[in-house]
Amino acid sequence: MMRPTAPLSVLIVEDEALLAMDLESMIEDAGHRVVAEAASLHDVADLPGDCRFDLAFVDIQLACGTSGLDVSRLIQERWNTAFIVFVTANPAKIPEDFAGAHGVIPKPFSRNGLMAAMRYIEEGVCDPPPVSPQPASFHASPAFAATWS
Amino acid sequence: MDERDDWHLTDRVEHETGAGDPFAAAVRATRMPMVITDPSKPDNPIVFCNEAFQKLTGYARVEIIGRNCRFLQGPNTDRDSVRRIREAIAAGKPIDVDLLNYRKDGTTFWNALYLSPVRNSAGDIQFFFASQLDVTDRIEAQKAIAEQKAIVERKVEKRTADLTAALEAKTLLLHEVDHRVKNNLTMIGSLLRLQARTIDDPTVAAKLEAMLERVDALATVHRRLYQSDNVQHFDIGAFCQNLVADVVGSSGRSDIVTDVSVDRIEIPAAMASALGLVLNEVLTNAIKHAYADGRGGTLTVSAQRDGDRATLSIADDGPGFDGDKPPAGGLGTTLIKRLAKQAGADVRWNSGADGTRVEILLDLERA
Repeated sequence: MMRPTAPLSVLIVEDEALLAMDLESMIEDAGHRVVAEAASLHDVADLPGDCRFDLAFVDIQLACGTSGLDVSRLIQERWNTAFIVFVTANPAKIPEDFAGAHGVIPKPFSRNGLMAAMRYIEEGVCDPPPVSPQPASFHASPAFAATWS
Repeated sequence: MDERDDWHLTDRVEHETGAGDPFAAAVRATRMPMVITDPSKPDNPIVFCNEAFQKLTGYARVEIIGRNCRFLQGPNTDRDSVRRIREAIAAGKPIDVDLLNYRKDGTTFWNALYLSPVRNSAGDIQFFFASQLDVTDRIEAQKAIAEQKAIVERKVEKRTADLTAALEAKTLLLHEVDHRVKNNLTMIGSLLRLQARTIDDPTVAAKLEAMLERVDALATVHRRLYQSDNVQHFDIGAFCQNLVADVVGSSGRSDIVTDVSVDRIEIPAAMASALGLVLNEVLTNAIKHAYADGRGGTLTVSAQRDGDRATLSIADDGPGFDGDKPPAGGLGTTLIKRLAKQAGADVRWNSGADGTRVEILLDLERA
């Protein structure tokens, strides 16, 4: 399997403009690139065919009443090598198997927490297993964590 | 037909025992209503009834003899019970059943019927013997009790449903409020972070950064509180571990090693924000001052519980400052002092050449 290398290309799926802006700046501070932003499932479906990303941060409650769980399914169909991380204020809504996604960052996140999560995810994606201690701000899905052992 | 003729009708059951039989006399005189039927005749008619039976049903003997017992049934008689009687007769078995019967005047009574076959010496069924007992009072009382019970059960059921619905509504509301608080805290954090990026003055930027860390600490308190099953209590030990990992992990300072050991220490939720902020100030202080200028080291954090007392300890191995006073001035120091007092905690500073150790002593009993 070809592992992505840093800097990672990132898709942000978030309907709250402030949070999307904030996420984007922190992701770029961490040395990665935001290649696209989407506020709903429809926006993700409308992404151009040549759009490529290694990692997607996906909110659960999205614009137009759409769900991040559906976005996760769509990404797995169209971009099957992408890693998916939910960013949500309601982690309880995520099914036990994470619907095929790789982890979750609970809201509210702090800059500290997000940067720690970003570093941990980068290690888990590019050069597993992660060597940084598991931050409280990120939970890997059972299936993703299992690929490291 | 007069009473003397009636008498002859009863002779039919006396043919084996004789007219002067004391048993037959007892059956005629007893207060227990009784009838005898003859299944060898068409439709199994009544061939004998005693005085008590006539009194119970309101019919005269002439109106009874020769008829099948079903003339006592009426519109509200339970069909299923009637079927059971019919089956018992067909099978030649005794049966015990409560049946709603009708008197001649149309009034009803509950009849505790006991019916059994009478066999001759050859074992063939010769008669059916039936005794009746007016048990209307018992049945009515039972019905009244059952109705009362059903009413109470319905009330309990409704009350339980109301309480369940109220609890569900409360839980839903709690989740909704939690969700909104989280979203607002996230947005406050995002606003501050976005603003911080536009500030060039390093002093102002540092102050805003510190403010942002405080909002982040509050957000972590909120998240931990609502992630737990119990929103009344807060595990300050686990929070310590969480905060150290976030603060040190995100500083990107791999030269700062952490040594964390925490007990589970539950404090009331009302104290969580104040103590969370105190811990945040002490921790960020350590990172900023003890490990300034790229100097690495080990940050030792512990949360220990000893009965009703707990000690949170943050120790760095930086250059330290002089004596047992916190670094003077600044909002951080004021926050530690005032918020610790609010939470009933005692903060002790100890600094020397081998580093600074800050201990936060909690009185859990008082809390």
